Amino acid sequence: MLSFYRFLLRLYPTAFREEYAKEMEQQFRDEVAGAQGGLALVWLWMRLLFDIAASVPAQLAIEVRSDCQHSLRLWAQRPWHTGFAVVALGVAIGANTGVFSVVNALLLRSLPFRDPEHLAAMTFFIPPHDSATEFDSWRQHSGYLQDAALFEDGDVNIGNPQHMLRAHIAMTSWNFFSLLGSKPVIGRTFAPNDHSVAVISYGMWQELYAGNDQVLGKTLHLYGLQPHPDDLLTIVGVMPAGFNYPANTLLWKAPEYSHGNNGWTAIGRVRPGLTWPQARAAFIADVHRLQPDRKFRADLLPRMTPLQDELAGRIKYASLLLMAGVVLILLIACANLANLTLARTADRHHELSIRSAVGASRARLVQQVLTECLLLAVISAALGLVIAIWATSLASKVQPAALPSQAYTILDGRVLVFMVGLSMVSAVLFGILPALSVGRLHMFAARGSPELRSSRIARDALVAAQITLTIVLLTASVSVVRALSHELHIDRGFKSEGLVTAGVALDGTVRGKSGQRLQYFDEVLDRLRHLPGVRNASASEFLPLVSGKFLGGPYAFDGHPSPRGTATDVLPVMADYFATTGGHILYGREFSDAEVRSDAKVVIVNETFARSWLPPGDAVGHMVTGPEGTVRRIIGVVRNLDFMGKYISEVFDVDPPETFIPAHNPGGFDSTFVAKVEGRPEDHVAAVRTAVESVDRGVPVYQVETMQQRLDRAFTRPRFYRTALVFFASFALLLALIGIYAVVSYAVTQRRHEMGVRLALGTTPMHLRTKFVRQGLGTVVLGTVAGIACAASAEKLLGSLIEGARAFDVGTYALISISICFVAASSIWVATRRIARMDVLEVLRSD
Amino acid sequence: MFHILLSLGEGERHGYALKREIAKRTNGNLKLGPGVLYGSINKLLELGLIEESDERPDPHLDDERRRYYRITPFGRKAARAEAARMRELADIAAVTFGKARHA
Repeated sequence: MLSFYRFLLRLYPTAFREEYAKEMEQQFRDEVAGAQGGLALVWLWMRLLFDIAASVPAQLAIEVRSDCQHSLRLWAQRPWHTGFAVVALGVAIGANTGVFSVVNALLLRSLPFRDPEHLAAMTFFIPPHDSATEFDSWRQHSGYLQDAALFEDGDVNIGNPQHMLRAHIAMTSWNFFSLLGSKPVIGRTFAPNDHSVAVISYGMWQELYAGNDQVLGKTLHLYGLQPHPDDLLTIVGVMPAGFNYPANTLLWKAPEYSHGNNGWTAIGRVRPGLTWPQARAAFIADVHRLQPDRKFRADLLPRMTPLQDELAGRIKYASLLLMAGVVLILLIACANLANLTLARTADRHHELSIRSAVGASRARLVQQVLTECLLLAVISAALGLVIAIWATSLASKVQPAALPSQAYTILDGRVLVFMVGLSMVSAVLFGILPALSVGRLHMFAARGSPELRSSRIARDALVAAQITLTIVLLTASVSVVRALSHELHIDRGFKSEGLVTAGVALDGTVRGKSGQRLQYFDEVLDRLRHLPGVRNASASEFLPLVSGKFLGGPYAFDGHPSPRGTATDVLPVMADYFATTGGHILYGREFSDAEVRSDAKVVIVNETFARSWLPPGDAVGHMVTGPEGTVRRIIGVVRNLDFMGKYISEVFDVDPPETFIPAHNPGGFDSTFVAKVEGRPEDHVAAVRTAVESVDRGVPVYQVETMQQRLDRAFTRPRFYRTALVFFASFALLLALIGIYAVVSYAVTQRRHEMGVRLALGTTPMHLRTKFVRQGLGTVVLGTVAGIACAASAEKLLGSLIEGARAFDVGTYALISISICFVAASSIWVATRRIARMDVLEVLRSD
Repeated sequence: MFHILLSLGEGERHGYALKREIAKRTNGNLKLGPGVLYGSINKLLELGLIEESDERPDPHLDDERRRYYRITPFGRKAARAEAARMRELADIAAVTFGKARHA
């Protein structure tokens, strides 16, 4: 019984326990002796337990408060040191939490569907879909899928000619909702053989119908969807709030199957009991069975992926990479803090020895040091929380998630646990070394004792580790920056700089009638061209890289049909389009306003098109019969525009032949105005929006943004990630330098006496400082070699995560190592500047 | 804490004796557990209201392991002041609510 009570006494804080444990045990014995009978004993124990429960927290609070006050006093003596430590750890914790919230939302939190882990996305593959029967028969006979659904999404206009809403909608096979396991809040979803019915989203229900139950049975018009530009739908159901799959869909429409429609996307539910590799193998076999003759382009291979991965998509790897980066930062920050606290504990050697001499136990001192670390971690965590909130809101602005349930939030149980765990782990990480060194304090060795050898080694090891981590981070960020700048400097046939874009859709509006479309575009272009700061303006039905759909088909050149029925893309553009977007007209000229207005039978072809018939320079003047049968004269040849993106043109040499025709009847596709402006394009976005909207309030204007913003979205790694990685790499370098500086400047303080003697004996300060640099560089070189080794082995991983991140040549590694050593040497040099100012006499006298 | 001061006012005591004394004074209503008791003692020591005594009152009853405490002059003053404050409060209460019948 007594031993159990003793065990409980261990719960009390050290100082209190040391003072009163004996007395309390004594009292315990007395009380037990006084208690007669089993009942009294039980009653006694209950009172004792209650007593402990009440007094332990109180005593802990008292002691922690006094430790905290002591820490704060110490910190106040070194505000810079402490401030920096807090900020470094705060940034590290904040960045980790922020990035983790993204990873959590995209990869860890499950999707809001039934059994989401069995849902699969099938990319670059469309199952048989010429009719409902064909598709249903395929899905019902699939051996590896329990069920499958199709959808095709796109933008349309919804509403009436006076007030039009641009909305993202999806046409889905009737079983789409049941496949996902989602049920409507009111009404029903689709039944087999449903036609012209729609299910609307919760948001649309609230906004357009004020949440009224009478919405069921109401009709609405959908404009701009082929093959029925004016589609009348009856609403049969409303989906719950938060259901907007795919891609912010506001309305789901019953399917219309047509022969050869390749706009469908397929999703499926893998049969229970099948593993992903098994299901994948069956899927690939199915693809080959269905399309035995299909030749697959290397980058368009059909694949089946878990739906969650597919939705995380392009952000997945970027956020994982960033996660790795911020974890490195945290490690570096912890190493730095361990170093600083270690040096400080050694500084406080004197104070701690005295306290130990007057009776403070080792445990008490360790508790004091750990409390200090925990306090630092808690304050940093508070700062980190602010940074995390900011980072999370930034991330959701820069890279919105695919589903509302995937919204990045730090107010998620898992993220909060992660954050608290992180701060505690880091406190322990950087607190444990100094605490251990306190454990080795010798009471009588305080004065004039040389610093402990092991503690010096520990500090050097920490610096080396920091250098290693920094190099890994630096090489990774250099590699990613290179990949990105390579991407930016590919000649895509147009320039994104200084371009502001604005989308419009005329379908169903007053302006949408055949004779009025061009007039509307002329009015808008006129206003845009007269805006201050706008140099040029034009419009296109399809923007390069951004548009998902094209017009096109087989064509003829001077009456000769295209070889093997090769298709050409047909892209209607307005006058001045190439001048505005920075395209290169290689031969001839581009369209004039008059040609667009009169619908002149002229055409501009790209290099690939021209070259497939004759040297591009000779193409002007020849005749092209377009897919729609119109014969046009070539008036210009333009350098290939990159419509597909990435390295396709470089790697696969598959630039499609393209023809540009005057946009005489514009406004029906992804119609987009482009304006070339002076200065930062971001500053002109608002003015462009106002100008376009002012022409006709009834026309929906959307996606008013810079071309760069559109491209960032189209690419796999937005600039944001590059900027973040570069920031973290620089931050890591800064931390590492501060670590080196602190160690060296501490060593200078420690060896003041020794150096004073040396100086008195005739050594020059220069000589001493060089010696420091030499010694310090030893550590740095060690860290660098380890860092290069890690970076080289991480290269493959990086290459698989970030496309275009290529292996480094020896030169780059050498350059990075030399720069690190140089900066480190300068930092050591600065840290030893005190030696030069050292007054020998005073140093010797003071000792 | 006031109870501890009151008990010590009558002479030096060790911890367990204090506990018994207080329990007796309050008719067993207030039984201080060791944690609370020594927590309070610690606080009183820090405030300088009581101090540890070096003398052992009765050599026969003395127990080496026990520490005895006694009230300091400052503690005595503080206890008096506290008692005065309580009396004032009690007077005010008596005026406001009338005197309690079963004091």
